[in-house]
Amino acid sequence: MALEHIADRVLETDVLVMGGGIAGCCVAAKAAEHGLNVTLAEKSKTDRAGNAAMGTNYYVVGAKPREGLTALELVKQWTATLHQVPTKTGLPEMGRERLSDLNILYEIWDKGLWAVEELEKLGVPMKWPDGEYRYVKDQLRTGKFDLTLSILWTNVKPIMAAAVKKRGVNVLDRTMVVDLLNSNGKVVGATAVNTRTGQFIVIKAKAVVIATGLFSRIYNGDMPQTWNYKFHYHWNPATVSGDGYAAAYRVGAELANMNMTGHGYIVDELAMGAGLLGRTDGVPGKILTWRGEEVTMTNARTSISKLAEMEQKGRTPLYMSGEDLPDDYHKRVEVALRDMRLASLKLAEDRGFNPRTHRYEISPIAPFTFYLAPGVNIDRDYKSLLDGVYTVGDCAAGLHGAYMAAPCGFILGENLPSITKNAGEPVIDEAQVESQKQAVLAPMAVKDGTEPMELECAIRYICDRYVTMFKSEGKLREGLRRLGSLRREFLPRLMAKNPHYLMRCLEVRNLMDLAEVHINACLERKETRGNYIRLDYPEMDRTWDNMITIQRLENGKPVVEKRLAPDLEPEYAKEEK
Amino acid sequence: MPAKINYKKCIGCGTCYDLCPLDVFAWDKEKEIPVVAYEYECWHCGICWMECPKRAIDITYPASFW
Repeated sequence: MALEHIADRVLETDVLVMGGGIAGCCVAAKAAEHGLNVTLAEKSKTDRAGNAAMGTNYYVVGAKPREGLTALELVKQWTATLHQVPTKTGLPEMGRERLSDLNILYEIWDKGLWAVEELEKLGVPMKWPDGEYRYVKDQLRTGKFDLTLSILWTNVKPIMAAAVKKRGVNVLDRTMVVDLLNSNGKVVGATAVNTRTGQFIVIKAKAVVIATGLFSRIYNGDMPQTWNYKFHYHWNPATVSGDGYAAAYRVGAELANMNMTGHGYIVDELAMGAGLLGRTDGVPGKILTWRGEEVTMTNARTSISKLAEMEQKGRTPLYMSGEDLPDDYHKRVEVALRDMRLASLKLAEDRGFNPRTHRYEISPIAPFTFYLAPGVNIDRDYKSLLDGVYTVGDCAAGLHGAYMAAPCGFILGENLPSITKNAGEPVIDEAQVESQKQAVLAPMAVKDGTEPMELECAIRYICDRYVTMFKSEGKLREGLRRLGSLRREFLPRLMAKNPHYLMRCLEVRNLMDLAEVHINACLERKETRGNYIRLDYPEMDRTWDNMITIQRLENGKPVVEKRLAPDLEPEYAKEEK
Repeated sequence: MPAKINYKKCIGCGTCYDLCPLDVFAWDKEKEIPVVAYEYECWHCGICWMECPKRAIDITYPASFW
């Protein structure tokens, strides 16, 4: 049967970009600038999609060679932050750890200032209206150099969407890419669904770039449970169902670091913007117990066990506050927190929030989902294990955050002309399209079945109860068993009353695959290191130094292995002038 | 209710329906107005509220945010 008879719509393009957030827009704009035919598919609306949908307010620029700060220095400092692990004495021990290929990190830091220029070419404001760059003090990295820009990015997404369209990118909004298509060992396109019309779309492509977000929705959100509303802020917008991770995994790509969770504590509900309080350093905000005793916490990654211990000893809640600090500090905070998400400001106003006197409650136990590390395992050219699939931004292992998304998007965009030139014409296996179509549209035919949110809540319950921050083999195995029964009993009964709910059903399918991958990775890593805690293996296992977990499907069976994250190449590692 | 449309102010421009990241709104073709169709999926990002040219949408945060 001809492709046109199976699909409602067939498109052909040089490059298919999956996801219209910062990474997706940067890669699409750059590739289109080089004359490529680029199609960008976004599940929501590119003008307000992705992590920066509501805006964001800081950007780390990377190396500043003129001031003497090299990419090498930054790579060293980055890994040094990771190396700290908690010990019984309370002093951090150095445990060697890497989250990805250090050479990718090197290139991103090295090209940071170039990426800032490229963003400006897209019309994105990096300076303040007075024409100045505003650097804020950054305690995370170096005391000597200021790397973090305070940026006025409330409208970054509408600006980027316009820039992408102006460069001729074919933007398909409300189009969720569901599965990738492969033939002869190569990915040649994808199948997608329009989330409003239910139209089934085939997109042939010489290269597929995955630029989608995290899969945080396998856990409940960071904010308090709110009556009926099940989509919360997860330190990322609520669209995060790991669509790119799952599609890549199902077609045979490798996922790395899937055991990693975030820092493990949240800073009360105003965290939408106040997460930056710690970044506005120079003068650190104190952390106090409810009795007013000061608590020292050297590093976010070392503090989870300590917070949990204080909870058990009855010393919580803990608060962070800047109320005793000098005026100068508050002025700096105002610069750093300027132009945070307007919704946070509204919430603050509704609550009668005063930044000078507010005590931010720090909740110790909740996992704060995925932050640093998980993603598709890629090589130095952002290529996955599979030919034809490239990954940037939050979907790439170790490259999270706007300041990683933009440079890697631009770098890959520069390389796409030569990649697509050598790719050959995409040949589609029609039988594969047909079987994907049947699987994708199946929930539309189910009556009296299971609502997608019911199943999603069940998955979140399993992850919150049996995985979460403090893991042990018994709980992980029970979680896996429960997940298996959900998959058997409920996945085939998922019901979509309309295309909108079909999108939710497909998201749940992705979350289920990824929750399983997550638990399997946690079972494999039998040690405690940084914020990764196995109660049954409380010591650091030095054989895991610089190692990451890698997972893939082989003949339909999940495989987990332990692999070294690549060293810095000698030409990068040597001291620079 | 998270996003609430004030139909006295709404001019039916469709901005909220167009932009909502979770596609919480639907479009009433007959009356040419947006409707909050999937209110329990609202995650209170405030994009409809901040983008509405007539400020015809208000966001009410749930009690547990207080």
